[in-house]
Amino acid sequence: MSDGGWLLLAILLSSLGPGLAIFFLPERRYGLRTLLNLGGAGTKLVLVGWLLLSVLRGDEYQLSIPLLPGIDFVLAADALSLLFATLSAVLWFVTTVYAIGYLEGSPRRSRFFGFFSLCVSATVGIALSGNLITLLIFYELLTLATWPLVVHRGTPAALRAGRLYLGYTLTSGLVLFTAIVWLTLLAGAEPFVPGGYLGELATTHETTLKVLFVMLMIGFGVKAALVPLHSWLPIAMVAPAPVSALLHAVAVVKAGAFGIVRVVNDVYGAEVAMELGLAAGLVVIAAITILYGSIQALRTDDLKQRLAFSTVSQVSYIVLGVALAGPLGVIGGLVHLVHQGITKITLFFCAGNFAETLGIHKISELDGVGRRMPLTMLAFTLGALGMIGLPPLAGFVTKWHLGLGALEAQFHWVLVVLIASSLLNAAYFLPPVIRGWLGERRTPWHEHLVEHSGPTRFETHWMLLVPTLFVAALSLLGGLLAGMSLSPLDWVTLIVERDYSIPGFAP
Amino acid sequence: MNALVWLAIPLIPLLLAVLIGLRPHRTRFNRWVPWAALPGLAGAAFGGDVEPAALDGLMLNTLLGLDPLGQAFLALTSGLWLAAGLFALSDRQDDPLRHRFYVFWLLALSGNLGLILAQDALSFYLFFSLMSLAAYGLVVHSNTGEAWRAGHIYLILAVVGEILLFAGFVMAIHQTGGDTRLTAIAEARPEGWGLALLVLGFGIKAGMLPLHFWLPLAHPAAPVAASAVLSGAMIKAGVLGWLRVLPLDETGHVLLGETLVLLGLAAAFLAALAGVLQSRPKTILAYSSISQMGLITAGVGLALVLPDLRPWLLMAVTLYAVHHGFAKGALFLAAGMTAQRPAGGAGRLAFFLFAALPALALAGMPMTSGALAKNTLKDPLYGADLAGWMAYTEFALTLAAAGTTLLMLRFLWCWHQAQQDIQAPPRADSRRWWAWGGLAGMSLVFPLLGIAVAPPEQVPAWVVLTGLSLVWPIGLGLVLGLLAWRWLPDRNRPWLQEGDLVVPLEWLAHASQRLWHSRPALIGIGRHPARLRWVRYRLRERLELAERVLTRWETIGLLFAAAMLGLYLTLWAG
Repeated sequence: MSDGGWLLLAILLSSLGPGLAIFFLPERRYGLRTLLNLGGAGTKLVLVGWLLLSVLRGDEYQLSIPLLPGIDFVLAADALSLLFATLSAVLWFVTTVYAIGYLEGSPRRSRFFGFFSLCVSATVGIALSGNLITLLIFYELLTLATWPLVVHRGTPAALRAGRLYLGYTLTSGLVLFTAIVWLTLLAGAEPFVPGGYLGELATTHETTLKVLFVMLMIGFGVKAALVPLHSWLPIAMVAPAPVSALLHAVAVVKAGAFGIVRVVNDVYGAEVAMELGLAAGLVVIAAITILYGSIQALRTDDLKQRLAFSTVSQVSYIVLGVALAGPLGVIGGLVHLVHQGITKITLFFCAGNFAETLGIHKISELDGVGRRMPLTMLAFTLGALGMIGLPPLAGFVTKWHLGLGALEAQFHWVLVVLIASSLLNAAYFLPPVIRGWLGERRTPWHEHLVEHSGPTRFETHWMLLVPTLFVAALSLLGGLLAGMSLSPLDWVTLIVERDYSIPGFAP
Repeated sequence: MNALVWLAIPLIPLLLAVLIGLRPHRTRFNRWVPWAALPGLAGAAFGGDVEPAALDGLMLNTLLGLDPLGQAFLALTSGLWLAAGLFALSDRQDDPLRHRFYVFWLLALSGNLGLILAQDALSFYLFFSLMSLAAYGLVVHSNTGEAWRAGHIYLILAVVGEILLFAGFVMAIHQTGGDTRLTAIAEARPEGWGLALLVLGFGIKAGMLPLHFWLPLAHPAAPVAASAVLSGAMIKAGVLGWLRVLPLDETGHVLLGETLVLLGLAAAFLAALAGVLQSRPKTILAYSSISQMGLITAGVGLALVLPDLRPWLLMAVTLYAVHHGFAKGALFLAAGMTAQRPAGGAGRLAFFLFAALPALALAGMPMTSGALAKNTLKDPLYGADLAGWMAYTEFALTLAAAGTTLLMLRFLWCWHQAQQDIQAPPRADSRRWWAWGGLAGMSLVFPLLGIAVAPPEQVPAWVVLTGLSLVWPIGLGLVLGLLAWRWLPDRNRPWLQEGDLVVPLEWLAHASQRLWHSRPALIGIGRHPARLRWVRYRLRERLELAERVLTRWETIGLLFAAAMLGLYLTLWAG
């Protein structure tokens, strides 16, 4: 065990420990469970913050345990892992508070929070993985830990969604497993290296590497919801709102996108990926996904389903940026890992608030909701405008860098895709905003929450409102203060300067 | 310190919007609404010497400051918003949803002030979008079917404009190598697509032909005060955008310049024609705005064609924008004063004077702001060497005033018709009168102020404000108007649908929608409907069955186990 590796382990255990303990708590121990949940989330936040500052100073953290002869289980912290780990730690804390408020009084909460913690442990594990084998282990763990959350409600629709989810992810896991084993046989269980470690093989094993790349993309692409592997995601939105939020913003789709980032940048390397024409292929797939997701989102009236299709589209921005393989494109892609997360979680929290407080599930029912729930509607507006990519919201910073990155990489048509996507985004995100603020409600609201748990001091339960406003503020500040140090953009620029051997980048 | 000064101007309206939004029932905040534009006016008056401020942490290297061009636009914008705000305060006092109107009002104001101060592309784009989107709330405020239709068209064009601008800026900044300052963009001379996108993006806002059709819909639909700022101040943002990013330097850009002159002159005449065929006062004013913006567009184009005369022409364009802003603002407020007509006496005289004065100024009556603006614009053209059709530009600019005169006659007549059966209110509404009178008075004060601040060299001041070329088009317009009034059978009827191009466009949209819905019949599916449906049904059934089988536990487990075994065997064999 090398120096400082205990910190990485502690970060993993800070959610794993409480998660396992919660399984054995009886349902009525509300206080202790909340303490464990928030304690774990808080501890993780502090530890990740510490790690963040150390990595910024330039310290190295690594933990390596032999797994099989020649294959190690490696945890490591570089700037890229910290990007994902910080996002998960912050949003996990927020989502935990939200979930406690959301599930108040509903059955089987111990099971829920147990798997919830496991899910986050796996996500942070993916972030801190130091090689492909370790990544695979946590990746599969994530698949299994998420399934009980998707089917939590136990309704036939939930069970069907869970079955579909498992069918897709296990199959892709299998493809991924095959690919990683094959790659390990070919190149050994190397740790992730900026610029990749397949340099010499690119000339001798060209076809094999191409096939392997496609297999890896299928493996990660299911979770990242690349078309045509995306069908599970819009159906999985039957899960409770905090789960959807976590699924769409942090855990599952991001794990897939993060895997793609690792493969392109740290296994193949941007140079090899471009030489073999793999990056260009990925750009095309990402562009198709971006447009397809938006078109589908336009066709549905269900609020959560629209958000889900929007995720399909937006996560591909990350893939697009990374596949553009120029510094500005990579900045745009990586920063969207964070920006899409905070923006989409805002939207899902808002959808949850509408559903929980007033029983609103459809966009056509949103008329005049801005007068009854102004703060939630404000948060929704910020999220929606951010998704369209209007300044000063976080989404704009992404779109700006992707646009510049596309021109830099000579993919002029990608700018057209971005334009079309922005138009489509406006077409499906502006109507709910307009309905909410300017529409008129003629009948009294169906006060779902008040009927169940009595009057609330604010427009809804404070544990639902505060997290929503917090993430909305983040999605505003992410863009407004993009030039500050330690903003997501600043951190991503640091990653690109420090870790990436991108052809032709002089910071 | 400078940063605080510049940030305060757009932030004060923004903060007031938040206050009103959070406490909609505290009516005492409402009183401050017009005064939110006051810091802007102060900035225009005293901010000329204050250094620009770089805010590196905000967005991506925000740069705020004020140049002479910005100073003129800031004075116009804040003055107009202040007057219109006072008007709105009275106009909206019985509106149950007034707090909503004020929130959108303040947001749009913040954007409009901010974009003038912005010296870098990103903050310019930020404030521009804020203004465009917030103005949607003003357009649809009256909540009628007409307002929603107008708002719909406005929003589509605004969003398209935003996105064109985004792409244009991305391409322009790619060309500068990452420098986001607006001056750097202009210096790098945007080319090809980037240039076209920027021209179109700002052109939508400026009501450039053929992207002008949101104006005649949005203006009559919005409340009067909102129309005044929309037409007087907000569409000027498009012109400011052009002046900031187009390659207005010693080289110029002949192709773009000629295109803009052509489009501008076409707009000046066609909009005047379309306007006289209308019957609602605010629609006529909207067409007049398109026509006047056409003249400004032509001025920008001339500055691109004649780079040597560029300083003079740019000053003329700025003067024209300020003159038009105040005059059009006063005319829109006049359209909202019909219910306030005094019964008689001096009040009655002022009532007609306040409407006639800005109307005459727009037509270019000597000694008004219009005379100053028109003379400044045309003056350099007398000696310029323009070839081909461009040689007639000066004549066309002069002739356009005849169209404006006709348009103004039509407006005054329709405006007068609208007051016929309205009872005079018991007491004059002083706030409205002050706002209206102040703006109308600018038609006289502005030229004198301009000459006092910058006295023209060589020629005496009164020459700048008079001239035969100002008078004969007005005479021509009056004669044409008289003839039309005499011979036209039905004077109260509109002869052209509002929004001209919108009508065929909407028809096209509906037709393509219908076509899309009836596509099965078109592409031959209709020929064997039963059989195809059966095939489709079977196909779906098969797929569902396959999915069910594949997602069954045993299948997943079995396949997973088999694959694992296979992999293990490979490992073992390898």
